[in-house]
Amino acid sequence: MQILAQLLVSGIAVGMIYGVIAFGYQLTFATSKTLNFGQGEALMLGSLVGLTVVSITGYWIMLPIVLAFGLLQGSVVERLGVRQAIKTKSESGWIMATIALGIIFKNMAENIWGRDALKFPSPLPEAPIGFMGVNVLPMEIAIVVGALALMLAVEFFNRRSIYGKAVVATANDRDAAGLMGINTSLVITFSYALSSMTAAFAGVLVAPVTLTGANMGGALGLKAFAVAIIGGLSSGMGVVVGGLILGITETLTGYYVSTGYKDVPGLVLLLLVLSLKPSGLFGVATIKKV
Amino acid sequence: MLKVEKLVAGYGKVQVLHDVSLEVPEGTLVTLIGSNGAGKTTTLRALSGMIAPQSGRIVMDGADIAGLPTHAITRRGMAHSPEGRRVFSTLSVADNLLLGAFPRVTGARPKGDVAADLERMYALFPRLSERRTQLAGTLSGGEQQMLAMARALMLNPKVLLLDEPSMGLAPRLVEEVFATIARLKQQRVTMLLVEQFAMAALEVADFGYVLENGRVTASGPAGVLRDDPAVRAAYLGQHG
Repeated sequence: MQILAQLLVSGIAVGMIYGVIAFGYQLTFATSKTLNFGQGEALMLGSLVGLTVVSITGYWIMLPIVLAFGLLQGSVVERLGVRQAIKTKSESGWIMATIALGIIFKNMAENIWGRDALKFPSPLPEAPIGFMGVNVLPMEIAIVVGALALMLAVEFFNRRSIYGKAVVATANDRDAAGLMGINTSLVITFSYALSSMTAAFAGVLVAPVTLTGANMGGALGLKAFAVAIIGGLSSGMGVVVGGLILGITETLTGYYVSTGYKDVPGLVLLLLVLSLKPSGLFGVATIKKV
Repeated sequence: MLKVEKLVAGYGKVQVLHDVSLEVPEGTLVTLIGSNGAGKTTTLRALSGMIAPQSGRIVMDGADIAGLPTHAITRRGMAHSPEGRRVFSTLSVADNLLLGAFPRVTGARPKGDVAADLERMYALFPRLSERRTQLAGTLSGGEQQMLAMARALMLNPKVLLLDEPSMGLAPRLVEEVFATIARLKQQRVTMLLVEQFAMAALEVADFGYVLENGRVTASGPAGVLRDDPAVRAAYLGQHG
């Protein structure tokens, strides 16, 4: 029972990370119906930039710098990889372009920071806290709180501010949003910036627990993509639940079956969702008009 | 206020508009009538920058706006209530109206009193007032049309483009829409109205243009067009 509770705790922390990256996928999908397939690399870059900056400035000043870096990196991805594809209404140009940019970012990171896994300093005590016989790392709590806080902040911005409403309007109907005087190209750039910022934030949240390195992004990005599909690309609630489902099944399978199979249940779930409810567990079915 | 000279526009390689010229003087209501596929909606879309004109001039308030992106044209004071209403379905009625004033709220246009204008819209469209907090997607077709018009008016526009505001509405609601347009005309809102109900449009308008296969084939004071036997036979018969 205690082991199960212990596994659940780790699963929840991992799942929240998947959830917050998947939330980033949703942000760009909402406004532009495109995704940054280099999302994992945005996370990796955020984490490694954080590692370099943290040694100079300390942890708390590092955070806003990493967030600003994420905003910038996301804008670059949109301008170089996505804008042209949207303009020409290319169905797949952005897929290849964002994957290519992700590979370039990864190569750059390998050259700057090397290929090895690096230790990331933890802002919180690294000794686990015992709670009813279950050991919880303070950083795991920070992951859950930080991820939820970020998602709530974006949600609050969208609902309360006029600029957030402009983002929602663009997601609703891009042409009509343009008629309101909203610069929808800028809104799409902004959503990419915000999406990469989310990933960079996830990178510094997870790094103290998992180590960081140029190779940390790929698997996380892919799993978060699975979460976004499972939860639905349009549902904020869906990515949290989807992330938790994937994180928990992973840790449970890793312990009770074999770590070699830990990715299987989540991916089987992905296949099931794709064949039974392609809009995601919480998604609203949309019909593509041709 | 708005002067269009030899406008050429279309979709891809298909040219829809051929040298369309028209004028909407300040404080007047001008209507553009014509059969389906004549290019009425395309004209409005080219005016507001939703499609890029291939050539021609679109002069609003002295400045050529042809070729500017949609949002820039809106910020210069052109409001367009588009075909099919296009309200933001996941946002509330109040938020839809607020977004109509986006350039005012964000400083791209003179701010004025946005809150007072909101109340003015609720007075003009009492049905919207009852549904302020309701999501626009849950409104009936008629209510969505009211919302689309009110949203466009929230810009305090120099020119208001109205594309088929009566489309798909029950006859009673069509009357209501035309009554509203008449009221806006009394308030001297400059409007370009595209309508399938040619007779009703000519009754309320000051001036009219007839569009046929992307060309202006007739124009004149609305009263004269209404009595023109050729126009009557071609466009007014079936809708009387």
